[in-house]
Amino acid sequence: MAKSDDCVHILQGLLVFGNVVIGMCGIALTAECIYVVANPHGLYPVLKATENSDIYAAAWIGIFVGLALFVLSILGIIGVIKASRTLLLVYIILMLITFAFEMASSITAATQQDSLTPELFLKQMLERYQKSEPASNSDNEVTKTWDELMRQNHCCGVKGPLDWQEYTSAFRLTHSDADYPWPRACCVLDAKGLPVNLDGCKLGVPGYYNSNGCYDAISGPVSSHAWGVAWFGFAILCWTFCVLLGTMFYWSGIEY
Amino acid sequence: TMLPLLLLLLPAAHGTAQLRFKPTLTQDLEWVTTASTFVLDQPRCVFQNYSNAVIWLVVALAKDISAFNNSSRPGTNETAFQKFPDPVRVYMTLNVTLGSYPCPKSPGEITVLRVGSETSCAQDDSRPTCNGPLPGPGPYRVKFLALEGSVPVAETAWSDPIMLRTGTVARPAPHTAHTLRGDGGAGMIAITTILSILFAILLAGLVAMLVFWGSDSCGGSSTFSKPESVTVRRYNTHHVYDQPAARL
Repeated sequence: MAKSDDCVHILQGLLVFGNVVIGMCGIALTAECIYVVANPHGLYPVLKATENSDIYAAAWIGIFVGLALFVLSILGIIGVIKASRTLLLVYIILMLITFAFEMASSITAATQQDSLTPELFLKQMLERYQKSEPASNSDNEVTKTWDELMRQNHCCGVKGPLDWQEYTSAFRLTHSDADYPWPRACCVLDAKGLPVNLDGCKLGVPGYYNSNGCYDAISGPVSSHAWGVAWFGFAILCWTFCVLLGTMFYWSGIEY
Repeated sequence: TMLPLLLLLLPAAHGTAQLRFKPTLTQDLEWVTTASTFVLDQPRCVFQNYSNAVIWLVVALAKDISAFNNSSRPGTNETAFQKFPDPVRVYMTLNVTLGSYPCPKSPGEITVLRVGSETSCAQDDSRPTCNGPLPGPGPYRVKFLALEGSVPVAETAWSDPIMLRTGTVARPAPHTAHTLRGDGGAGMIAITTILSILFAILLAGLVAMLVFWGSDSCGGSSTFSKPESVTVRRYNTHHVYDQPAARL
């Protein structure tokens, strides 16, 4: 009771198509993860300070998984066309290993997305920003990153300038409250980087200081990066699952 | 009748007009108090009758206002900022002439006084009228005093107690970022469950495949033939060759 050749050819065609899609998605995943790792928003020091840089680990894994998927998809296409049992067995085993890694990356990115809270950043910022005796280079990095963040996004603190008033901080130890109710970077700055109106900034006159918090500016990009890595990875894995099941079925039907 | 006259004369002899104005924290700004400063509204249109006077701000801790005597002179050791709050209970600062408080106030202008803004003279004993940062959270009460020369001519009422801010230590949310099993949202749970199920199915499939490979029986009746399959033709040829050999 031999199935018609058409059935075989359809299955082969589907598997080849499936592998082509996997290959392309692998390249796309690599590109996306390189983008995340390349750190376009300069947020890496702040995230590292909060020990919350799992998103970067997930992205690094994603780069290698993407390349592996591309290579394995080529192997898969060759194996399907040649109907070789050994090749396909190797393909399936290696794909399962890649599947496991991508699973880890995807879950890590999804967890990270849920765990970014303002309180986390607040504590790190208050402890490290402008620390007078920086314990390590990362403290300097944190200060520089926060300054850049506040200047570029016209924001102050995590939830607002009141963070510097309501909580004790390393900044407060070296800068008197009367002269620096909040850091100078919170003031509206002119082209030279000096406050437009220092007294207005110190008083809190609207228009001379940044009154909104930076949390949105941080969590926005990181959230979307994490979302991208997690859910794109998940989609690829679902597709890969179907292709692998098809390949296993095909494999079991190949003549011994 | 002499007594009532004397009593009437006494307040006049005192000489200092008691104005009903009470200094207040400004309403124009969002942050009116910090840990060591606060912002008052300027006393506009209050001291109009005293065009020659110099207006001083008198600051004291709320519990010490009874220690104030309007014959205290500013710029002396008894009212020096640098020795506040002990032994100086009340200090005087922010002296301006009436010209600095024009009346009426121009609309749209923010007219405020920031108490505690001068940090440079906070330790400088040669500047007893320094408007230095306040040394604690308070509560403080203030009033304005108009002096002509060294004679007090008018004073306002004491303000309500003004409490300054104190900082607390920031507390992060109880869960930390490191635990994978942390405050997982719906997304994380969905991804983990679905992917685990898929992975388990694939592993089961792989195991089935390997077991499959061991046994010939199911694999023998192949449904997919390899590209070169000439079994049938060979059989025919063999049979044809046999016949002539048998006849001979």
